[in-house]
Amino acid sequence: MALASPQITAVCVEANEFTHLSNQFRVRGVPHTVINRRASFVGALPEPDFVAAVLEGAGVAIEEPHEAPSGPSTEIAN
Amino acid sequence: MLALSGLVLTFYMALIPEPVRQQLADRFATVLTGPVHLTLYTRPGSSRLILPAGLGCPTCEDAGQMAELLRDAAPEKITLDVVDVSRDAARVEIDGVDDVPTIAIGSNSDIGRIRFQGLPTGTEFPALIDAVERVSRAEHGLSPESVAALDQLTEPTEVLVFATPT
Repeated sequence: MALASPQITAVCVEANEFTHLSNQFRVRGVPHTVINRRASFVGALPEPDFVAAVLEGAGVAIEEPHEAPSGPSTEIAN
Repeated sequence: MLALSGLVLTFYMALIPEPVRQQLADRFATVLTGPVHLTLYTRPGSSRLILPAGLGCPTCEDAGQMAELLRDAAPEKITLDVVDVSRDAARVEIDGVDDVPTIAIGSNSDIGRIRFQGLPTGTEFPALIDAVERVSRAEHGLSPESVAALDQLTEPTEVLVFATPT
């Protein structure tokens, strides 16, 4: 995805090694994806849903209505 | 001296066995097309002791070996830059790297926007190899619809994916 958009930085974080991050983002299962340290979802989503979740997390209004992601989506309260 | 070298070699090879190195070199020889630039953010000389967050770096040594493994598998295509975060605070700030070890993968000498934070072992290792190959071939593998959707991003966007080796 980072290859498809020059705006994206993709970081694969080893959850056991960085417990302060896992705790900060309440990681309970993997894969757990956090967008802009604000929005998150758990599980491996199909590509269109993953893209929609990234856009939503980045605050981009999605032009076309999209099917709801199959994984739970939560807002992280800091 | 010889015994010591043998001991060091045995340990070195224990992490990444020779057949794996050869297998990777053979694979990269056919798969890689363009240049790949790796940046290893590390804290050299850290002990393997697990210290409170922000102190020490128990996996930096192994991450260094892993980055060297990738470079040595295709030295004509892959370059490796090592950044000592305890000495180069400016670079850390510019590149926006929070923790060590981090291996960043890019197609040129700019900062890589595909990063592996922590030691990418287990199921993360194939993902690391895949990332190197995709960067080299400039293949994102996404559908035209996804690419068009991602074009709507106008601000830097960080996607953190927490994973485990198992």
